[in-house]
Amino acid sequence: MPVSQLLQVRDLQVEFRTRDGIAKAVNGVTYGVDAGETLAVLGESGSGKSVTAQAIMGILDTPPGFVTGGEILFQGQDLLKMGREERRKVRGRKLAMIFQDALSSLNPVLSVGYQLGEMFVVHEGMSRKDAKAKAVELMDRVRIPAAKERVGDYPHQFSGGMRQRIMIAMALALDPELIIADEPTTALDVTVQAQVMDLLAELQRESGMGLILITHDLGVVADVADKIAVMYAGRIVETAPVNELYKAPAHPYTRGLLDSIPRLDQKGQELYAIKGLPPNLTRIPPGCPFNPRCPRAQSVCLTDLPPLYDVTDESGAPLPGRGSACHFWKEQLHG
Amino acid sequence: MAEEPILRVRGLVKHYPLTQGILFKKHVGAVKAVDGVSFALYEGETLGIVGESGCGKSTVAKLLVNLERPTAGEIFYKGEDVTRLSGRALKAVRRNIQMVFQDPYTSLNPRMTVGDIIGEPYEIHPEVAPKGNRRAKVQELLDVVGLNPEYINRYPHQFSGGQRQRIGIARGLALRPEIIVADEPVSALDVSVQAQVVNLLEKLQDEFRLSYVFIAHDLSVVRHISDRVAVMYLGRLAELGTDSEIYEHPTHPYTQALLSAVPVPDPEARGKRERIILAGDVPSPANPPSGCRFRTRCWKAQDRCAEEVPELTVPPHLAGADGAAHPSACFYASEDPAP
Amino acid sequence: MPDPYDQRPHDERNSATELRPMDLATEEAEALERHEKATPARSLWGDAWYDLRRNPIFLVSAMLILFLIFIAIWPSAITSGSPYDCDLSYANQGSQSGHPFGFDNQGCDVYTRTVYGARASVMVGIFATLGAALVGTLLGGLAGFYGGWWDAILSRVTEVFFSIPILLGGLVFLSVVKSGSVWPVIGFIVLLGWPQVARIARGSVMTAKQNDYVQAARSLGAGNWRMMIRHVLPNAVAPIIVVATIALGTYIALEATLSFLGVGLKPPTVSWGIDISTASQRVRNSPHALLWPAGALSLTVLAFIMLGDAVRDALDPKLR
Repeated sequence: MPVSQLLQVRDLQVEFRTRDGIAKAVNGVTYGVDAGETLAVLGESGSGKSVTAQAIMGILDTPPGFVTGGEILFQGQDLLKMGREERRKVRGRKLAMIFQDALSSLNPVLSVGYQLGEMFVVHEGMSRKDAKAKAVELMDRVRIPAAKERVGDYPHQFSGGMRQRIMIAMALALDPELIIADEPTTALDVTVQAQVMDLLAELQRESGMGLILITHDLGVVADVADKIAVMYAGRIVETAPVNELYKAPAHPYTRGLLDSIPRLDQKGQELYAIKGLPPNLTRIPPGCPFNPRCPRAQSVCLTDLPPLYDVTDESGAPLPGRGSACHFWKEQLHG
Repeated sequence: MAEEPILRVRGLVKHYPLTQGILFKKHVGAVKAVDGVSFALYEGETLGIVGESGCGKSTVAKLLVNLERPTAGEIFYKGEDVTRLSGRALKAVRRNIQMVFQDPYTSLNPRMTVGDIIGEPYEIHPEVAPKGNRRAKVQELLDVVGLNPEYINRYPHQFSGGQRQRIGIARGLALRPEIIVADEPVSALDVSVQAQVVNLLEKLQDEFRLSYVFIAHDLSVVRHISDRVAVMYLGRLAELGTDSEIYEHPTHPYTQALLSAVPVPDPEARGKRERIILAGDVPSPANPPSGCRFRTRCWKAQDRCAEEVPELTVPPHLAGADGAAHPSACFYASEDPAP
Repeated sequence: MPDPYDQRPHDERNSATELRPMDLATEEAEALERHEKATPARSLWGDAWYDLRRNPIFLVSAMLILFLIFIAIWPSAITSGSPYDCDLSYANQGSQSGHPFGFDNQGCDVYTRTVYGARASVMVGIFATLGAALVGTLLGGLAGFYGGWWDAILSRVTEVFFSIPILLGGLVFLSVVKSGSVWPVIGFIVLLGWPQVARIARGSVMTAKQNDYVQAARSLGAGNWRMMIRHVLPNAVAPIIVVATIALGTYIALEATLSFLGVGLKPPTVSWGIDISTASQRVRNSPHALLWPAGALSLTVLAFIMLGDAVRDALDPKLR
């Protein structure tokens, strides 16, 4: 994988020390994103996709969570080696995050305009009046109708979709270089989901920032991502440009996920289902973590952990950006 | 489907009063969660109900299993109006209409063992299973839903979300009901586990000849499992038809907008699809628009839509049209979304 | 081994990987078995007990409390004297052989009186807590479960009780009753203590009631009684236990305060509060007579509050 300039996560390891043992939430994740690029991180709950994002943002709950290895290079600097104060500055100005639940991320007793303006007052030392004008400007930018009249409204006076727009506005406030959106549309209705995703994509095009989109929804990803990293049990099991991943997945897990989406031609039949359950992170099976659920598993999968192989086409020419952590990626991809 | 439906709902209304004051409550209005819903459920079929949050679909579920009493309207189970029943007669009907809940984490009592949870229906209805063989019955149910019968003494927190949902399904099956009302049964589950539970529900339907009311917001799952689909908006049904009538020949503007917004897991379709973006937000159910509920966001709305309430019937101008001739509550129903 | 990832259409492929209940059962069984090895089957109560046993705060406070209960029941096990066996000629004397804590100004052995004083404190603490917890859980639980009028009336009544100043209330109530034994004191504490429990019980019953499993029981046809006993109470009782344990310590302190003021327990009942009161008048001459009962009282209150803390941690790990 080529090294990305904006953000490069290398061999990141995160564990949670709990009563039931050490849960290995992230086990050597490597991914990168460039300016103007959208990386979608796809995975189920417990795959480590959100924990990785929390580690990048520096908002991991410690304890119980600990980063035990790897590096997170942001514009060439390792965030993990920075001091607390330095890191806080990067987090405020250059990195921003959008959460799933907009209602609990906004303070219910302060007006939306005040909360948006706060960013400018704190980080740029603006006066309250200027900050309010900025807040209106931001609300316009995320297409909230009648921004001028609504700037004094409180979070509960907005609908779910509008609240998520306000969260986006807040993330955009200081023109960050990278936004991490953790399931930004999961709590929204379908008709609103599409609007919010479109808005995010549009704003990204305008500002040229990098975007990491964390989701479990294969549909959302298909619409906006440039490239995809699929995570399972704290590891990246497949990376690919978006079109290629859907057309020809090179990992049995990705294939299984794609196959379990209900399709028209399957009406009245059983859905394809990946058997079994995601592993308990305190006891990840030896070898390939997917082996107990994998229809392709052979004895080597029970003992040897597959690295993220570079994926090539049938003639052996490299496929840029593609990788698969499966011993049998060739069989999976080329049959 | 000329036979008598197993369940018929007529003019179902549920208003939650809005009150002010603590001791002396004053009515200041009502949230019209469900406002005139009618449909029928036939034996062995699955009726899907789709809609966005706040449309009243979960309230319909609660009304069907008698967790809420309707403000008006009737629910006929095999010809008998269950909304008028109470006591013993109600309990008998409840045996036959069971519910599967959305959240597998809050729908199982954490202080009870799996065996007690699945066996509780037998304690409430002791006539179904004599005391001696209840344990065997519970183990049989565990086996039916694909769980190891030996785990009868475990507690819910020792299971994953998908397994817990299987436990919830086993509880719903215990009394051998004829109807199961499933309220978003897979939406809290992981993608790779959702398919397992959908398959289980379908398998059980064949095995026990169950009729399902399947409520969800995920349009593709509803399509997969349903024989007929009802689309709900702000307390009313907008459109009702077979799955292909709704998904391939939608005639109500709301259905069309809803379907166009569903993300398609195919990056090649990006930018090629015609997406209908709805203006504004869903109005408050405490103060719904006059006439057609959807008119405030509808691009086809005319004056008539504010004055008259469109009935859920086959639009006369579409009668005989292939696929499009199904009930749609719109004066200007048409397969062509253009105004 | 058949290859399920061939390029055949879905229907054919599915027939190869068909879901059979037995297959599934074994798969789930395997998955669960792996899970089981490290986490043996435990109920939530079992989990809490497991946590408690490993909590040094709990072990220390529990041992203290057990010791206290032991001497409350059987004081003569650790002292041969009698609390009433006083000799004025020893008044205010310090520590000496056979009388490690010295004598008070009546010439009574402070060690013996401190040991015998535990009984009143423990009795008041335990019975007042039981009473307040029972009344509070019953009334608060009913209010939380049924809501409506019940709830409105109970909320107003608890507010009335909260507005009564405890000491003033105690002075008035106990000077009217005038008995000096433990029972009126227990009665008074129950009277003022139950609203606090009721408030907690009401809140936690309301929360527990909203869980889907209560709805599930209702949709099965369960009656109110079953829902309350099987589903709501077991899930609402944890905060009540925590509040009651912490309240136990404060009730003991309250009894001592009332006795100190002369309206709680009265001689001949032996109580730390009474001893503190008499000793405080002579604190310059004989501080030891004040220190020992006061120290015993503080340690007891602390032990119950620590126990309550440990119990809360165990019952609600999220608070940590």
